[in-house]
Order: sequence, then structure tokens, then C-alpha cells
Amino acid sequence: MKKSNKKLLVTSALAMSLLITGCSSSSTGGGESSSDKSFNPDNADGKTYEEVRDSLGAVPMVSDEIRLGGVAKAFENEYWRTLKEGMETGAEKFSNKGYNLTVDMKSPQGESDEEGQLSIVKDMINKKYTALLLSPISDSNLVPGVESALEADIPVINVNDGIIKEAPNFVGPKADQNGELLAEWISEKIDGKGKVAIIVGMPKAFAARQRTLGFENWMKENAPDIEIAEKQNADWDRSKAKDIAATWIKKHSDLDAIFANNDTMALGAQEAVNESGRDILVVGVDGIGEAYDSIRKGEMDATIDSFPLYKGQIAVEMAIRQLGGQKLPRVIWTPQALIDSTNVETSAEEIIKWTDPEIAK
Amino acid sequence: MKLKSAGFNREFSLIVAIFIMVIVFSIIQPVYLSTGNLLDIMDQSVINGLLALGITYAIITGGIDLSVGSIFAIVIVVVGDLLVRGVDPVIAIVCGIVLGFLLGLFNGLLISKLKLQPFIATLGTMSAYRGIAYIITGGWPVLDIPSNFRSIFNSKLFGSIPISIFVLLAFAVVGHVILKYTKLGTYIYAIGGNEEATILSGVNVNRSKMLAYAISGTGAALAGMVLLARLGSGEPAAGQTYELNAIAAAAIGGASLAGGRGTMIGTLLGAILLSTLKVGLVVVGVDTFWQYIATGAIIVIAAYFEVIQDKVKKINFSKKKIA
Repeated sequence: MKKSNKKLLVTSALAMSLLITGCSSSSTGGGESSSDKSFNPDNADGKTYEEVRDSLGAVPMVSDEIRLGGVAKAFENEYWRTLKEGMETGAEKFSNKGYNLTVDMKSPQGESDEEGQLSIVKDMINKKYTALLLSPISDSNLVPGVESALEADIPVINVNDGIIKEAPNFVGPKADQNGELLAEWISEKIDGKGKVAIIVGMPKAFAARQRTLGFENWMKENAPDIEIAEKQNADWDRSKAKDIAATWIKKHSDLDAIFANNDTMALGAQEAVNESGRDILVVGVDGIGEAYDSIRKGEMDATIDSFPLYKGQIAVEMAIRQLGGQKLPRVIWTPQALIDSTNVETSAEEIIKWTDPEIAK
Repeated sequence: MKLKSAGFNREFSLIVAIFIMVIVFSIIQPVYLSTGNLLDIMDQSVINGLLALGITYAIITGGIDLSVGSIFAIVIVVVGDLLVRGVDPVIAIVCGIVLGFLLGLFNGLLISKLKLQPFIATLGTMSAYRGIAYIITGGWPVLDIPSNFRSIFNSKLFGSIPISIFVLLAFAVVGHVILKYTKLGTYIYAIGGNEEATILSGVNVNRSKMLAYAISGTGAALAGMVLLARLGSGEPAAGQTYELNAIAAAAIGGASLAGGRGTMIGTLLGAILLSTLKVGLVVVGVDTFWQYIATGAIIVIAAYFEVIQDKVKKINFSKKKIA
């Protein structure tokens, strides 16, 4: 027993010292922008897809066969399946207009299969696809593929998320803007003062970093009376998000809103809010079907939809413009909009005023 | 006698460690000590606890079960699908338990009959089972779980204690009884201690191993159903990397990956300790990146404990010999 008492002392001392170091450094870790280290399309001199259409005019006709190769992060995620559908819809629309166009969209086994994703890209290069539309898992895993594609004169367009500095063009939403939109919406709802908390996604994801940053910056600049009381990472996991939210709700009797970096985590947080019976705003990002349903039911309060179905079509359109000899801007921003109870029943076409692109005769 | 007292030390130390944590966190952030928050700590240990109790069975035999997170996902989508189709919740729960048992049994079959190494066999089924979970729903989540099922796990007993906590305790008690008071339990420890000797003494080693993995699968199934009730929807992607937290809880609780050692009470305390730490770090507002370090440090410290305990035992043993 004597021995074990000593051991106990050692552990408790260690545990405590851990706690203390943990606490004291909590303010220094994370939260920094990586914009200076790598290319950040949010800060780049970009154009919206509408501006691109205005300045470049109609989509040029291409008579050669076009085989587009799309590579997504992971089809396990509804978002990427919808993006795939968007590219296929785009390909179908163009082939109906007389293009000889096909698109193959593939994904590796899950969002951790970085090597597998690279080998899909290499395979597409070997099979001489006409152009590649890539959404890399990390900011670096597809770089070798992009380099050899460019060497082989295959145009590469970086789509959506996972940023490839080496790719000549990026097509996707402005990630920090959705954080800003939600910050503004929350601030309006709670009259510019109160307490909010942020549930962050996997730190390696560009979108997670930028969404949080956009939210925090907007609050700092425009709503000095809103305190960001808490910020924790839940790895995009619904159950983890619920657990964290439940703890916060107990800790802060005056919590007004929770911003989650995606809808899956927001839905988890919403469960915790439901259980507490309190009135706390919950907002997410992505616009997945379940979030729409939740908003319809009056549970979740808002989400940002970046319309992957249309984003996919825009990516295909931009690839054709590039192949037809037009010069694309470095960054092309795709539409996104805040969805809440006021527009949850409005169709996407109407919200973003979508029109199919004009095609040159 | 020696083994038992070593076990007692371990569990006693864990309880003390949990108390120290509770006290430290409460000093930093008094909300931590509220009844609601303490119940939350228990509640948040349920899913990891069930997975960890199951995996402890595999670990005691000297094996491992990496597939628990994937079994968890299959049970979530299958039970979710049954419920959405209007199947009676009780029948759905029974189906879920049987399914978890069978998926675990299949692991056991690969390990005992085909003589595959447990790590490799369950690494394979981890991937294959995950694939099955995706195929069942085409990757989509199962939505709108009926409230009659949800209330089975979510309603409260004695005022405010969620039933899921009792599910965890019940599984721990049954698991404990099997390990300590049945032949199967004795065989499972014996296999982990010395498999050759156990075979030579005429024990049906294959059957015991298969049952150990089946129990592991059953724990995962229960965890899956608790999650389904909690979130009201289930994703086939749920539970990825959960096996690692479960192994951590078992290891902190004194289960040895070399086999032959581990208890239900130890693992249960290990899971509670992890959620005490996790909730504490969230309440205090420690940066997530530091939380990973804290969790890692606890695992390493716990493992070091094991080493010290072994040394003490050896010293005691040699003293006896001399005397």
C-alpha cells in the first residue's frame, strides 16, 4: 500500500502539471491563419462565376472529344456525392448541346486515404484525360500528380476544398465568407450582444480554418459586444460535437448561439440543445438535406449552402472554357447563400438566380 | 492472492485519480461539480465504455479487436433502418444485439479456426465491415429515428440518471460475472496467460476465443444503439477511430495487450477517467491540440504504472522465497 500511495502522488502531480501547462498555453495554440505560408483563394484576387461569364462571354464550342476526370475527397460524405452529381449534370447538359463530353468522378477510400487519391490522379494522367478537376484531401497530397499533369499539358482545376497552390485555377466558394455570413446573421438575431461558441472541424481542413477565421474576424470587427466564449474541435464528428455542446450548455447559463463548422456537427449540437430545453441558436455550414429538414422542423436555425450541384456544373463549364482557349482568372468563386426558416422552401435556382451558360454558335 | 491485490491497487488508484481530477477541475471551474455535469461525464463515458468493455475481452485473450468501430456502424445503420421501416423497437434492439454478436463471432472464427493474428484479422474486418455499413445505406445517413426507440435509451431513472448509464453498468456487471465466476471467464484468462498450456489442459480454446470476440461485438452493438438513440440519426461513417479510445480505456484500466490481464471494473474506470478528463478539458476551455497531449500522457502514465506494479510484485515474490 505504501508503494501505491507514492505512485498515486506521482500520477496526480503529473496530471496536475499537465493540466496547468495545458491551461496556460490554451490561448497560444491554434487559431492562426496559414495564409502567409500557402496560397489562400479567399484572399486572392478572384472573380465570381458570374463576373467570369460576363467578361469571357459564351462558352466556346470544342469539337474534340473531352474526357474530364474528377477526383473528390470521399463519397461517404453526402457533399461529395452531390458535387459528383453536379459534374455529371453539367456534362450531360453540355453533351446535349453538341459537345463530345464525358466526366468520370472518383474518390479514394475515405478522407484519410491520401495516397490512394494520388494514385487515382496518376491513373487519370496515364489514361490521358483531357482535363482534371481535383478536390484534394490535404493541401499537399496531390501536388506530385498536379505537377505531372501540367507537364503532360493536361489542364488542372482545383475544385472546392483542399487547396493546391500548384494548380493554375481554383473554382470554389469563399470559405471565410460563410463564417462571415453566419456571424452577421447571429449578431442580428441576438441584437449584437451575447455569448457564442464555435465547434471546429478537423484542423487540417482549409475550410475549417477559414470558416472559423471568417466568423471570428467578423465578430471582432462588427460586434464588439459578442463574446466568443468557447472554441473546441470535434473532428467533424456528430457525437463529439453533441458532447462538447452539452458541456458548454451546463457551463454557460447565458449561451446564445453555437456555430459549427459543418452541418453534421451542428446537428449533434442541436441534439444537446434539444435536451437542455434552452433556446440557443445553432448554425452550420454545407446545406445537407438533414440540415434543411432540421430547419423546417424549427430546430437548427441556419446553414450555408454552397450548392455543390451547381458548383459541379460551374467546374465543368470552366474546364471547357479553358480547353476552348479562354484565359480563366486564378480564382473563381462559386455561389453560396444562407438558408434559414425564411428561404428553406425556396429552390436553389431561385436563391442563386441560376441560369445555364450561353454557348457560342 | 497476489493477482487480486494488484487488481485492487489498480482500481483503487484509478478511483483516486478520478477524484483528484474532479477536484482540480472543480477548483478551476466550479460548474464542473454540478450534478448535471457529473451525470454528463458518466453519460459521455457510455459509448466508449461499452466499446472498451467489449474490447477488454479480446485483449484478455491476448488479442485485439480493431473492428469494434465498424461493427458499431453496421448496427447503427441496420437497427436505424429497421426502426424507420416501423419494426418494433424491442425487436430492433434484439436484432442489433444478435447482429453485433454474430459479427464478433465471425472475427473469432477468423482468429481461432483460421489461426489469423487478431490484429490482422480485425484490421481486415474493420475495413470490410465499414464497407458493409456504407453499402447498406449507399453512404446516406439513416434519419428520423422514431421517438419510442429513442426514449428507451434516453429516458431518465431516479429523476435524472439517463438509462444509457445503466446499460453500461449492466454490461459491465454481466461481463464481470462471466469473467470471474464462469468457466468461460477462467478459460479466457488462461488463454491470455498461456495459450499452449491451456490447449494442453484440454480446454476448447477456439470456442472460448470465438465467444470473447462475440462479446466484444455485442458491446459495440449496444454502443451503436445508444448513439442512435442519442442523435436520432445514424451515419455509416460513425465510430471511426473509436476503437483507439476503447483500447486506451482498457489499457488505462489495467488490461495488458500481452494478454491474461484486465478487468471489467478497471476498464469501466478507465473509460470514466477518460471522459472525466475530456469533459474537464472542455469545461476549462483547454485548446483541443493540448487535449490530445493530455490524453496521450494519461495513457503513458497508466502504462508506466503497470511496469512499476510488475516490479513490486517481483520484489515481493523474491522476498517470500528468501523467507
